[in-house]
Amino acid sequence: MFSIDFNDLGQVTMTGRLDAAQAANAQAFLDQVSGECILNLAELEYMSSAGLGVLLKTHKRLMVGTSGLKLINVNSHINDILRYSGFDKLFDISLLQK
Amino acid sequence: MKKFFARSYDEITPIVDATEQFFKQNSIDPALRTPVDLCIEELFVNMVNYNKETQREILLEMEPVAGGIKVSLTDYDVERFDPTVPRGINIDAPLAERTPGGLGVYLVLKMVDSIHYEYHDRQSKITFQIKGGKADV
Repeated sequence: MFSIDFNDLGQVTMTGRLDAAQAANAQAFLDQVSGECILNLAELEYMSSAGLGVLLKTHKRLMVGTSGLKLINVNSHINDILRYSGFDKLFDISLLQK
Repeated sequence: MKKFFARSYDEITPIVDATEQFFKQNSIDPALRTPVDLCIEELFVNMVNYNKETQREILLEMEPVAGGIKVSLTDYDVERFDPTVPRGINIDAPLAERTPGGLGVYLVLKMVDSIHYEYHDRQSKITFQIKGGKADV
């Protein structure tokens, strides 16, 4: 299961598993976002390279005139994927506090 | 476990369910689930995306090994594609030079303890092992 929505703070939240089957849904939602965007991943359990592609495409679009995507509450599994891919050098990332 | 899956992203969830069941039935370390799920997804999606000359289902096999799991994916009636050959991904490239895609197999190679590729009679088979203590994803 995967879902994406805004929370009460205006942050974009993702829940569940962001895999290749869900990447198009995530991209369609994020394509509607403008300006600086905080992506709260506290409830996102899993992300594959398809999800990385969604983040990268959105970040590049939003970086024109803003600071782009900021990733918060990232779990250790997803942080490892981001780090292996070099995304830790491209994104502002804060980890989920246990 | 041997099971065939159709060439569709819709099969990812059934694959995850089958993997979860296999882990439980064989008491495999749950900490290995995420790297195993990711490696299977990346290799399966790669077969679906790039081996479009066939409609045949993809075979997923799993077996427990000491301290971990061995997984194979076999694609039938396809051209050779050896994922163990490095693809030259530059993870240090600046944002302007980064493009979506190309990271899947790279991540697989980062996470597995071993990986082996076989190709014969137009059958493409990838086998990997992941054990505890190495994969941290």
